Amino acid sequence: MAGRLPAVVIDNGTGYSKMGYAGNSEPQFIMPSCIGIKEAAKVGTKESRRLGTGLDDLNFYIGDEALTVASSYATKWPIRHGQVDDWDLMERFYEQAIFKYLRAEPEDHYFLLTEPPLNTPENREYTAEIMFETFNVPGLYIAVQAVLALAASWTTRPEGERTLTGVVIDSGDGVTHVIPVADGYVIGSCIQHIPIAGRDITFFIQQLLREREVGIPPDMSMDTAKAIKERYCYVCPDIAKEFNKYDAESSKWIKTYTSINPINNVPFTVDVGYERFLAPEIFFHPEFANPDFQTPLSEAVDNVIQACPIDNRRGLYKNIVLSGGSSMFKDLGKRLQRDIKRASDSRLKAVEAFSGQKPTPIEVNVFSHAKQRYAVWFGGSLVASTNEFYSVSHTKEQYLEYGASICRHNPVFGAMT
Amino acid sequence: MILLEVNNQCVVETLIPRIESVRQDPNSKPDSVDIKVADFDGAIYHISNPGQDRFVIWVSISLKFFKELEDHGAHDLLKARYGNYLLDTTEPGYNVTLCYRLTDLPDNYKELVMQASMLKRNCFACVFEKYFNLQAAGGDAEQRAVIHYRDDETLYVEALPDRVTVIFSVVFRDPDDIIVGKVFLQEFVESRRDFNQAPQVLYSHKNPPSSIAGTDALVADNVAYVTFVLFPRHTSPEARDKTIDLVHMFRNYLHYHIKCSKVYIHMRMRAKTNEFLSILNRARPSYANEQKEKKTMSGRTFRRD
Repeated sequence: MAGRLPAVVIDNGTGYSKMGYAGNSEPQFIMPSCIGIKEAAKVGTKESRRLGTGLDDLNFYIGDEALTVASSYATKWPIRHGQVDDWDLMERFYEQAIFKYLRAEPEDHYFLLTEPPLNTPENREYTAEIMFETFNVPGLYIAVQAVLALAASWTTRPEGERTLTGVVIDSGDGVTHVIPVADGYVIGSCIQHIPIAGRDITFFIQQLLREREVGIPPDMSMDTAKAIKERYCYVCPDIAKEFNKYDAESSKWIKTYTSINPINNVPFTVDVGYERFLAPEIFFHPEFANPDFQTPLSEAVDNVIQACPIDNRRGLYKNIVLSGGSSMFKDLGKRLQRDIKRASDSRLKAVEAFSGQKPTPIEVNVFSHAKQRYAVWFGGSLVASTNEFYSVSHTKEQYLEYGASICRHNPVFGAMT
Repeated sequence: MILLEVNNQCVVETLIPRIESVRQDPNSKPDSVDIKVADFDGAIYHISNPGQDRFVIWVSISLKFFKELEDHGAHDLLKARYGNYLLDTTEPGYNVTLCYRLTDLPDNYKELVMQASMLKRNCFACVFEKYFNLQAAGGDAEQRAVIHYRDDETLYVEALPDRVTVIFSVVFRDPDDIIVGKVFLQEFVESRRDFNQAPQVLYSHKNPPSSIAGTDALVADNVAYVTFVLFPRHTSPEARDKTIDLVHMFRNYLHYHIKCSKVYIHMRMRAKTNEFLSILNRARPSYANEQKEKKTMSGRTFRRD
């Protein structure tokens, strides 16, 4: 281990890419997964229009810089629905991410990349080709995001309880996934997508504010809603009681949010009231935001576990892990745990009434931890700093010997087995 | 991006927000920090709060070849650059430690942070500074600095009365890189001719140039030697910093461009593949004569004969 440079961990999401060195607790760079390129206006496929002449292939920006030059460059998002869609651009994205931001000589570092559950083996081969052929990395491991999110929760757990069996509730900006994992393998047939996530909560707050507050400049409407969501929102155990609490002691609960209108530099204030607990409530009453979708998050999790093979269900109930920025609301874990527990208890009671035998009670645990926001990256950083990582990674020698197909399978490791 | 940046972005992004938060509100507690990031040439930066004191930040660097740099007066140069921010006793395991107390930083803190993020460059600079001075003082052909800046790659600096020569040995680990690198370096030597001001560049494959022949210089198929001949106009005090910035990054610059070339080749390959595919698709027989039911807008079907 001594003298080895830390591994590079890159988690490319649809919206943001998280990059950094293993061993740290936070990613060093968090940037939008976009790239600003020059495209020639001529006839032909998009690939041939991009080629350009001379040094044109070096003339591009990634991340936040790409957004600032958006007026003169075409901004592209090479990742769609978690999967890489445009390898041309992705290869260039890596080029700048490694050399400009991470400043790593790729020949010296092992790499850990992430993939969404249900990624195709072909995509893994493409990734391997790019990493080994273009960047000459000495070793590569492609980990499933959900598994890393499970690994990230180990820090809060005593040594003996570190398992890779559990349900990951991954809530980002666009969509929430509920992903069951058994011994490090995703149960693909049981994954559930829920169309309620961060963006819907922001919209909901924006709507409430629009109806009530008059002082918000229209340009700032979205940003204000987002700031309120991140700063003041929390999950309450009971809405009716919470309403009463606010009505009884409004001065204690109603907060004021102050900000400055960037156009004329005039400060404005907004009262933050019921939306503090109403907004995150749409996880449990999705019909507030999306009339087509009515299943509460807790019920969705319960359904997912019930759809899994019966041998795994206890393990899954015991280890439900939150991940992603939209899972950061205070007490979300507590509320989920209570609701799921309630559902499973009532089921057990029905079984008892029906059979007359008392079943073993089911343990329900929802874990939240400090590293939740970048849980996937943190999990990656955690596993990539172990010695085992270096023994399970695919090496350049193996790649040259067997070809890209070796990266179709990435052995699970690190579980307490 | 054609040239690689000289400073480490991560150091800047770690220090600036903490300094600014303390400047805005001296009572606020800045976020604690403990990060370890790598840089080119095996350098490792460690940014931390010593003894849990969040108002003090240490920026340490470890370089494998720091011993060799020390022989060339690294300490004096760093002391001149960083002054009181340089700690005399370094953090264990690291070669240089800078210490910043967030509460008493001058107003030009951005400049300070920039310097801190160029720590690796400044470590390298000592060799060049020393030999540039030596050249100005008349040169000394006997003395040659040998820096093993990577496990298998070496940097030679030599001062003569009229010039300073810098020789890099570059080892290619991948057989394809040898070819791409060779073409790139030959092109590099060629295109230099268009610029009279640029230093002379010589490139030799396999065998080291005669000036370092007979030393422990490697002779192998995957080794190349690049020689820069720097004239007094490059080593003058005004041009010096720029020269050092560019020369000390050369090896990484070369590898970056080899990778970029490969990416470009892949782009062309993909474009060509799509072109060929569309030609193949054109060759697919069209089943025009086949009896096929067609649908009108209103939903009725008919057969065209």
